[in-house]
This record gives sequence, structure tokens and C-alpha cells, in this order.
Amino acid sequence: MFSRLLMIPLVPLLGAAYLILFGRRHSRAAVQTIATLAVFASCVISTDAFFFGLRDSAHGGGISELVYSWFSAGNVVVDLSLRMDALSGLLCLVVTFIGTLIHVYSAGYMAHEEDYPRFFAYLNLFCGAMLILVLGDSLPVVFIGWEGVGLASYLLIGFWYKEHANASAGKKAFITNRIGDFGFLIGMFLLFRATGTLDIPAILDSAKSGGVLAAPLWLGQPVAFWAGVFLFLGAAGKSAQIPLYVWLPDAMAGPTPVSALIHAATMVTAGVYLVARMSAVYMLAPAALAIVAIVGALTALFAAIIGFAQNDFKKVLAYSTVSQLGFMFVGVGTGNFAGCIFHLFTHAFFKAGLFLCAGSVMHAMSGSGDITKMGGLAARLPWTTRVFQICWLAICGVPIFSGFFSKDAILDGAFATEIYGHGLTWVGPLVGGLLLLAAFGTAFYMSRLYFLVFSGPCRADEHVEHHIHESPASMVFPLVVLAAGAVLAGFAGIPPAIRELFGKYGESTMAVWLEPAVGAPLEVSHRTEWLVMGFATVVALGGIGLAYVFFGGGYRAPARAFAKKMPGLVALARDKFRVDELYAAIIIRPLQALCRIVFLVIDRIVIDKILIGGWAFLADLGGRICRFVQVGDVQRYLAVFAIGFAVLVWVAARPAAPDVQIVIEGNNVAVQLVDAEADGGNLTYGFDFDGDGTPDRMGPTPLARWIYGGPDRYTITITIRDERWHTQRTIKRDIEIR
Amino acid sequence: MPGYLYILVSLALFFIGTTGVLLRRNALFVLMSLELQLGAGSLALLTFARGLGDQKGHVVAFFLMALAAAEAAVGLAVVVSVYRTNKTIDLDGVNELRN
Amino acid sequence: MNLMLHAPSQLEKVAFMALAAGVLGFALVTVTRKSAVGALMALVGAFCALAGLYATLSAHFLAVLQILVYAGAIMVLFIFAVMIMNRDEDNPIALRGLFLRATGVIATGYVFYRAAWIVVRERQTDVLSTASTLPIPDYGTVASVGRILFTDFLFPFEAISLLLLAAVVGGVLLSRPSRPSDGGGAI
Repeated sequence: MFSRLLMIPLVPLLGAAYLILFGRRHSRAAVQTIATLAVFASCVISTDAFFFGLRDSAHGGGISELVYSWFSAGNVVVDLSLRMDALSGLLCLVVTFIGTLIHVYSAGYMAHEEDYPRFFAYLNLFCGAMLILVLGDSLPVVFIGWEGVGLASYLLIGFWYKEHANASAGKKAFITNRIGDFGFLIGMFLLFRATGTLDIPAILDSAKSGGVLAAPLWLGQPVAFWAGVFLFLGAAGKSAQIPLYVWLPDAMAGPTPVSALIHAATMVTAGVYLVARMSAVYMLAPAALAIVAIVGALTALFAAIIGFAQNDFKKVLAYSTVSQLGFMFVGVGTGNFAGCIFHLFTHAFFKAGLFLCAGSVMHAMSGSGDITKMGGLAARLPWTTRVFQICWLAICGVPIFSGFFSKDAILDGAFATEIYGHGLTWVGPLVGGLLLLAAFGTAFYMSRLYFLVFSGPCRADEHVEHHIHESPASMVFPLVVLAAGAVLAGFAGIPPAIRELFGKYGESTMAVWLEPAVGAPLEVSHRTEWLVMGFATVVALGGIGLAYVFFGGGYRAPARAFAKKMPGLVALARDKFRVDELYAAIIIRPLQALCRIVFLVIDRIVIDKILIGGWAFLADLGGRICRFVQVGDVQRYLAVFAIGFAVLVWVAARPAAPDVQIVIEGNNVAVQLVDAEADGGNLTYGFDFDGDGTPDRMGPTPLARWIYGGPDRYTITITIRDERWHTQRTIKRDIEIR
Repeated sequence: MPGYLYILVSLALFFIGTTGVLLRRNALFVLMSLELQLGAGSLALLTFARGLGDQKGHVVAFFLMALAAAEAAVGLAVVVSVYRTNKTIDLDGVNELRN
Repeated sequence: MNLMLHAPSQLEKVAFMALAAGVLGFALVTVTRKSAVGALMALVGAFCALAGLYATLSAHFLAVLQILVYAGAIMVLFIFAVMIMNRDEDNPIALRGLFLRATGVIATGYVFYRAAWIVVRERQTDVLSTASTLPIPDYGTVASVGRILFTDFLFPFEAISLLLLAAVVGGVLLSRPSRPSDGGGAI
């Protein structure tokens, strides 16, 4: 029963449960240890399973486990089964490893927090849910994890719930996610309808063999297309793509470790994971992939532009995350699943590192994240600065750092993809171009962030500046580890062109790892690879350079001049293009108005007055009527008694109701009465056939015959008399003679 | 005399007694009519006992008589007690059972 | 058809008629009187007539008991009660729920009608027409009934005495004055 794969999500979940119930009884050190150990244990088991378990498993299949036979309804059998293959195993490693680091970091960051156990419990809950999502072998199980991380995200964003803004942010995240979940469900239903199963391996097999999923569904597009689009809608909710990205910047209201873990490295990648997981399905519908890629590219560029003008440290990083997720979706959208996952992998390291640096800086700045009031922190926060520099260069795509390789992988895929058929071949180069622009933007705004925060003189207030200090070791240690990862992770995905230089042929390590799960990597010509590498480097350095011109060492003249000349543009970018306001106007306010109407009409009038009041009135009325009986008057009771007795006597004295059998042959009618209790000769039967009121046949036998004149409808009246009791019973039957 | 006539008398007597029980206003009259009903029952019992040649009917009628005596005693005590509290035994006004 | 193998003698017929008329007549009077005392007297008369009917049925023991217990003891009880609360009725028929109760009376009448019909139709059957010669010579006498009482029905006989005890106690308890300050009650 306690199999290996189950332990991976189970240990953190148990940790969460324990901490929720008993966390308050323990010291802070104990709480932190329990939580961190839980995730670390998960990490160890994942590593063991990934490196040793997968090797032993059947080629490509991965290890799977049936944990619990959940339910079967009709033809649907849904089991709680987990599977680790290359893809899910890699994500397990990322989640647990970075999760462990974040737990260690949180010990220091949240040291002053009152509600310590609750925080760690929620963190563990999140890890457990994310692992279920990743390891799920059938869509309902993935959905459980999906919802679970949504819940954990809500709880953690609104952790300091006493502030209204935080609770609102949590609510916004949850609701926006919900809209995406709707898409997920529709996609799930479509897949089930077509294939009759919800097991992922079964669905993927069905997709690989074409057939059911390729059948046209609507508008000439196959089932796979619509399923893919709806699943992408769910992914867009979770992974903050247009139009459902609006929750992610607001989610920065939560504690920084939360932002690092959930909104940078793991939860937001769930959408990407989903699309990659269902790769076989998407390959059947290149049009869906085109949509994914275009949306991803647009999001990447859009978010980057917004990032140009944000003044809050974490918000910049939030939009950066949205943008980078756009990159990943371009990856899947071009059929470059390996490249996309590679970028997910590297992004986890450097983005988490960036966020933890943000936490460190905010810690030093007494909780403020306003970069307009920072500057010159490089000298005061040496460790943080080093780490930030490394991660910054990684995200800009400077060569040797991991971001360079992963971004290149995606760009290669965009320009070299051949999966789009007729009419859509322009998609690849288009998204590639957009991504290059976005990469330029990324370099620009990240460099802006670096320069404004770490270089030049300090613009902070006196007493804030006084308190600037480096973070404690518990916070610095994870930073260093992540920085190392930001450098080293890239080497897992060195493209073939460079590999050749070192005498190793073939695809990158990561592509080879992932092939069993996501299919063969894209074929990219060496020429394309070198060209892309060149362009990307130019773009990256150009972005950094431009940012230096504008912001090197603080706000410089060009920046101020630009702001003066184009205040509108700057304001637009800073106000995130007013998208939230747009949503509020066209969606939220009408909904609220509708709710008000519904409330007033239905709740107040229909439910309260009519339904509740109505029933109350009826009950009252019934009670009043019944009260007449309870008069406390014995004589009335006796009268009712007597009446009841009389009724009984009357019923008992009547002749029993017999079974009337009528046989019609032509004009002859025979009526036979079958009586279970024949009364021993006391009954007299009268049959009136012609409806004149007088019986035509009378006698002690329950049988009579009659010949009718012609076809018509007749009524036969049968009277049974009991001479003994002097009672009778009358039965009427209608017959039709044809 | 023919037995059925006795039964008819018993039925008629019972019917008269029921009329009194149901319709009278004074509690005492109700009790009196009750006695009539019991008497009717005893008459029927004795008739059938005679017809069947069995004296068990007599015994039952005997017990019935004792019961009627006990019931009359207690019933009258109740009526007296009610009269004391309400100063009336008019059944129209006395319906304590309701509350 | 008859209780007797021979036709009833004239005396027997007259006796029955008179007694039956007496019972029913006195009963009617009882139920319809306005004054309680008058009703009581009629009731006594009804009981006496009833006792006579018992006698014609050869239930001698019970006939005597009827006079002693009913017409004697029970009626004395009633007279005492009436004397305590002697009030004449203005309108003897209770008015509330009259419709319901009248319907009850009619229902009883219906039952009476049905029963009467059956009885009259079945008057030839055995149970209503057995030989008039007494099944045992001392049928219905004190000794004979007493013998049964003390042998087959001994337990109920003794139990009845318990019942009477309970009735006595209940009667005493119920008619005691409820409050000591009440000055001893109305008696």
C-alpha cells in the first residue's frame, strides 16, 4: 500500500495536516523542521525514483502506480493512479528541490510572523497538491492537484488576510483560475466523449494512432483542436496568459517566499505542464498549437512592455514571470516540447532566485518594495547582489548562463518548426520575431530593475537607509544554491551545434531525457541555431545597454526626457494598459449589477416572501384547520369515533369488489365476475346491459350473457346485492362493440 | 320470547344511551346515559347466554356491574371536583383538555 | 324461531312487552328531561324494568343484583351528586360542535339499523332460538352462577375487589377539598 510514488505527494500533505492540527504546540524551530523535512523527504524519494526507478522501467513508460480504485460509473473507471515518467519526474524534482530551498528561506524571512505554523502548513499543502498534479495519471487526478494548488495559492496570497487588499488579491486569483478551470473541464469532457476514457496514457495512445481524436467536431476542426483550445484556456488561467493573467501581479500581495515558489517556479508552470503532457493530442491539431503560440508570444511582449514602467520590485518580477511563461507557451505552441520544458527548468531557478533576492532587498528596506526609493544596495547587500546579478544575466539570455540556452531552444523551435501545415507556416517566424522583441524587452526591464536598485546613490529615506543590512544565513543559503542552479542548469540543454564543438553528437541531454514522454525534439539546422544564438545575444546585450543608458546608476537624463516627452505612454505601461479597469467595466460591474437584481428579486421576493412565507402560511393554515379537531371535548371525540365506526361498518358490509371479465365476440357479450370470497349464496347479481335502469339479468350466478343490436358504445351496470346485510355495490363498465 | 326481540331492545337502548352521551350538556346526564349503555350491553350478554345455555355471560355481566359501580363512583367524584373549581358542570364551558 | 319449543304464553308476551316498553320509555325520559332529579327517577325506573327483563331471561341472580347495585347503590350516588349540584338545565342540549355530534348520533343510528337488519334476518339461527327448557335446572340462580364465579372465574372475582378498592380510594381522593383553607368543601 505505501508505494514509492504515493509517498512523494503524501509526505508533504501529511506534514500540512499535522501542522494545521498541532502546529501551535511546537516551537518555531520544530515547525520549520517538520515542514522542510517533509518536502526534503519528497525530494529524496523523487530523486531516487527519477534516477533509479525510471532506468529500470519499461522504455518510455515510466513507473506507474495504482494507489486507489476510486469509482466507476457505467463505462467510466477512474482510479487514483500516479505515474512518473521523464516529464513528471523532472517536474517533481524541480518542485521538491526548489520547495525545500524556499522552506529554508522562509524560516528566516517569516521569523517575525505570528502565524508561523499556518504558513508552513500551507506551503506543505501546496507542495503536496502540486505533486499530485504532476504525478497524476488520469485527468481527474490532475484536476484534483490543479484545484489543490489553486486553493493553496488562494490561502497563501491572502495569508495576511487581515489586510483587505490581500484577501481581495487571493479572491481574484481564485476566481480567475476558476474561469480557466471551466476550460479545463470542457477539454476533459471533450476528450472523454471522444475516447471514452480519462486515463492519460490511454488518451495519448489514442491520439498517436489518430482516429477518434482527429474526427471533426465543429467548424471543421477535429476533436483534438477543441480539446486543446479548452485545455489551453485552463492553462492560461493557471499560467497567467492573456486574458487571464490579471491575478498574478496582484498575487504579489502574499509573502515573498510564496511568490517565489508558487508564482514563479511551480504553480504557474502547471499550465505549461498540462499542454506538454497532452502533446500527442495537440500534435493532431496544429491550429490549436498556433493559437497557443500566438497567445504566448503576445503575452510575452505585452507583459514585457508593462514591466518597463512598474515601480514595485515584485511587480516587475511578476510581469516578468508572465512574460517568460509566454515564452514557454511559444515553446509548446511550436511543437518544441523539450525546449519549453527546458526553459521551465531554468526559469524555475533564476526566477525563484530573483524573487528571493526581492525578499532579501525588501527585508533590508524595512518591507518596502518601491524601487524609486532604492539604489546603491550593491555595497550594503553583497550576497544578495551577487545572486541577483547571476540570475539577472540568466534571464536576459547572456551567453553561458542558463537562460541563454533555454531561450535559444525556444527561439530555435519557433523559427525551425514544421508542424504547421497549410496556411499557417507564417506562425513560426511571426512568434519568433515577437519573442525576439520580448527578449529585448526582458533584458531592458530587468536591467532597469538592477540598475535602479543596486547601482548608483541611494535614494531611500534616512531612517530606512540606516537599517539596510544583509539577510541572515538561512536566507542567503538558498539564494546561493539557486544562483548556482541558474548557472549550471543551462548545461543540461546545450544545443547540438555547440555540442558538436566538443565532440559530442546528437541532441541535448534534456531533449534526450524527455523524449520518451514528449516525443522527438525538433530538427533544427545548425545554421538556424547559430543565427538564433547570434540574434539573441545581440538582443540581450542591446537591452542591457539601453537600460544602462536610461538608468545606469539611477534615473538618468534620457529616462527623464522620455518620461517628459511621452507621459501618456509611460502612464499606460505603468497602469498595465488599464486591463483591470477594462475587465471591471465590461465584466465585473455588469455581473455585480446582475447579482444585485437577482438578489433583490429572487432572494427577497421569491424566496423570502413567496417560498418561505408561503410555506409558513400554509403550515399555519394547516395547523389552524387541524386545531379544530383538538378541542378537548370528549363528546366531539366520541362523535368522531361513532362516525368512524359507522364508516367501517359500511365498508365491511358491502359485497367484496369482484374481478370483472368481459368477453366480446361480435355482438355477444359475456360478463363474468370472479370473486375471491363468494359469500355462500347470499349475493344476488343484477346486470343491466341496455342502460335503461332495470336489470336485464338477475340471479345468484355471477355470469350473464347478452346480445347487442349493433356496434355502439354501451355501459354495463352490475349490481351486487347482499341480502343478509341489505347492502349493495354497483359497478359500471364501458364497452364498445365494433 | 324470541331472542331477536331482546337484541333489538338492547340495540335500541344502546342507541338512546348514545344519544344522551353525545348530545347532553350536563356532565351528570352524560354519566347517566353511560349507565344506560352499559345496561344495554348486559342485556345482550344475557340474551346470548340464555340462547347458548352458558352461564359465562352471567359472570361477565356480573363483572360489568362491578365495573359500572366503580366507574360511577370515580366519575361522580371527578364531576364534583370539577364543579368545585369551576362552579359549573356545564360542558360547554368546561373544556380543560384543550389547554 | 323462539326461545321456547312452545309458543309463548300470553303472560309471557305481555310481560315482555310491558317490560321492554318500560325500559325504552324510561330511558327516553332520562335522556330528555330538563331536571336532573326527574331524569334520575326515570333512570331508576329503567333499571327496574331492565331487571325484570333479566328475570324473563332466567338470569335471576343478575336481576336481583341489578336492583341492588344499580337501582340501589349507584342511583344513590347519583342522587347525592345531584343534590350537591342541583341546577336545572335551561337548554339541555350542548351547542358547541352540535353538527358534528348530531352526525355522530346519525352514524350510530346507521349502525343500529344495520345490526337490526341482520338480527331480524337471522332470527331463525340457533343462537337466537334455543329450547326454552333450561339447560340446567338451576340456570341463572345464585348458587349456579356463584359456583362458576368461585371456580372458573376466581381470579377475576378477586381482582374485581382490587378494582373496587381503587375506585374507593380514587373517589375519596378526588372529592377531598383541594385547599386546607377551603373550609372543608361544599359538602
